Amino acid sequence: MALDNLVVTPPPHLKSKEQTAIAMRDVLIALAPISIAALVAFTYNALFNMAVCVGSAMFFEWAVRKMRKKKVTLSDGSAAVTGLLLALLLPAKIHWLNMIIASFVAVVIAKELLGGLGRNLFNPALFGFVFIWIGSGFLASWTGHLGFLPGGFDGVQAATPLAYLKQGLEGPVPSYAALLFANYGGAISEVGCFWVLLGGGYLLYRKVINWVIPTTILATVFILAYILGSDGLYQILAGGVMLGAFFMATDWVTSPINRWGQVVFGLIIGILIVLIRVYGAPSGAVAYSILIGNAFVPLLDKVFKPKRFGEVVAA
Amino acid sequence: MAELKTFKGGIHPPYNKELASGKAIKEAPVPREVVIPLQQHIGAPCEPLVSEGDRVELGQKIGEAQAFVSAPVHSSVAGTVKAITEVANFTGAKVKSVVIEADPSQPEFSKKPGKDLEALTAEEIREIAKEAGLVGMGGAAFPTHVKLSPPADKPVDTVIINACECEPFLTCDHRLMLERTDDLVAGARLLKAAVGASKVIFGVEANKMDAADALRSRASSYPDVEVEILEVKYPEGAEKMLIFALTGRKVPPGKLPSEVGCLVQNVGTALALYEAAAWGKPLYERVLTVTGPGVREPANLMARIGTPIATLIEACGGFVGNPVKLIMGGPMTGWAQPDTSAAVVKGTSGVVVLTSDVVDLGEEGECVRCGKCVDACPMFLSPNFIVQAAKRGQWDKAEMWGALDCFECGCCSYECPAYIPHVDYVRKAKAEIAALKKK
Repeated sequence: MALDNLVVTPPPHLKSKEQTAIAMRDVLIALAPISIAALVAFTYNALFNMAVCVGSAMFFEWAVRKMRKKKVTLSDGSAAVTGLLLALLLPAKIHWLNMIIASFVAVVIAKELLGGLGRNLFNPALFGFVFIWIGSGFLASWTGHLGFLPGGFDGVQAATPLAYLKQGLEGPVPSYAALLFANYGGAISEVGCFWVLLGGGYLLYRKVINWVIPTTILATVFILAYILGSDGLYQILAGGVMLGAFFMATDWVTSPINRWGQVVFGLIIGILIVLIRVYGAPSGAVAYSILIGNAFVPLLDKVFKPKRFGEVVAA
Repeated sequence: MAELKTFKGGIHPPYNKELASGKAIKEAPVPREVVIPLQQHIGAPCEPLVSEGDRVELGQKIGEAQAFVSAPVHSSVAGTVKAITEVANFTGAKVKSVVIEADPSQPEFSKKPGKDLEALTAEEIREIAKEAGLVGMGGAAFPTHVKLSPPADKPVDTVIINACECEPFLTCDHRLMLERTDDLVAGARLLKAAVGASKVIFGVEANKMDAADALRSRASSYPDVEVEILEVKYPEGAEKMLIFALTGRKVPPGKLPSEVGCLVQNVGTALALYEAAAWGKPLYERVLTVTGPGVREPANLMARIGTPIATLIEACGGFVGNPVKLIMGGPMTGWAQPDTSAAVVKGTSGVVVLTSDVVDLGEEGECVRCGKCVDACPMFLSPNFIVQAAKRGQWDKAEMWGALDCFECGCCSYECPAYIPHVDYVRKAKAEIAALKKK
């Protein structure tokens, strides 16, 4: 009997079906509903943006790994996830060069240079997004988008839902139902947060993420907004809160590893979102808040280090 | 339904017990030659009592313990000492071993006249355990008489019989519970007497209800014996987890079960103690499970210590399929073998053969901080940070994250989506930390 194939490795010799690549595939599946909704709303604009962002993110990942003579890890799908998230964060009408720059900042700087795979401090997609947002001044085009819009807009100019709330703009404020299902301006992912929730539910079901971070963020925003005299429900349905809570604050690499650390992380992000929105700018709050939350992660990991089995608390 | 007793953390791997759980224990063939290591236990190696060319009888003591933490070894065959030499054991380490050529015809073990087990004193039971060379048969192989000698200021009130058999695939303890119920309960009560405890608890996982029922019907005649059902979860049978699940007591880091008044012994050990006390039989053979998709006819075998894996596999109809992992012990904590030469020792609970279709040899990737290892760790450690520290050679940090508390159950690596071999890193860290402390 041939025993030439025997492999000697340390235990354990059994392995669950968990794989980084499968988790990333699950994230892509979870992003499908909102991506499709964006495609329906913005058609070729959205398609073009997604193609540019995903393509460039994958290219930069490949190039930077090659240049640093490290194993190319494209097959784990994390670069594709970063690219797609970036596309979803951006408005439909944005110059392609802006997207490439954002992609470069996300993958090369935020991911590879600020720590490397698995050790980057900041969420790459958000980092790239915030960079291009501040740097390029595409805000001018933020509220206008091209494409075939379902009802209510003339297709050129529209205020984001949060701008309505913030600036007390005239005109019909979008209803809750509209925020859940329809397109009211902003990033291409702001086409109904129901689709984001659907994907978030899938991630929970697949156990790629747990409920702690999204729940803490949403609950904090909801409650604190009411306390500060804002419409809490509107606040969690409008803008990027849902996408941020389920897809970005839950990023494995850039969120705390322990339950209580995750709770505090969610609290930090939730509080910052509300404070920025109520007292600061009407948009970008989610991105800023999560990035600031990211900076707290190493500290939270240390502070909330699990107490070892049987460990006695020093009196 | 009431929730079954258990611990926090852990994993649910596929158990595959059905491959062998219905197979009654049968005698494995006696090999032509046995290799008996003089160190099969945690502690000091034995000094040989025989020399090349000597005749040895079945059960004859051939290696004497030279320290308290040690256990003598006995010949598992009648035959002639062929050599006393260093032989690689199942871990690959070279250990001084007695190689014995077995006589073509082997005698039956002759039981000594029975003693009154109820009348034995604690001291006598410890002496019996020591003389019979008993060690923990669940795998760790810690000398039993040492465990039976807890410090005087730490009285033991509860003896726990680890009847979980939480390692996937293995079924030998299950069979012993079914086939040797009465002897097992008697052995457990001897353990109780040896430490002066007030009760014995059998902790059985819920996937062995037939064994639990058998034990219960026997235990009903003894008010001091209890049988508890535990959730089927790995590593339910780990000492600290089992004590917690059954009594709610937590053994502090770096401490022994006696700290919380408990003694844990495996099913096989309890039975071996019974055989040693009632029959005068030293530990020269044991029951083990030869199983896995790579074995033609999985079985539970009574095998002589020193039997090479090859003999056991042959007794089970040989290999089948494309075997890629030949494991001595269970699949979660056992040792992968490069060939079939390694010999059965007192702590060998099984031989598991896994084929290419069930083994997932993924390439080690970067940690993505998913936290699954932290959630799975029954000791509430942070395996990811131990690995990170070990990779950087920061041994003080590895210790801070709990490297020394790790008992290497492997739950972290089982769950890890990046195929990181945490246990390997932990072992390195433990060795480095120990070396630093010596300085």
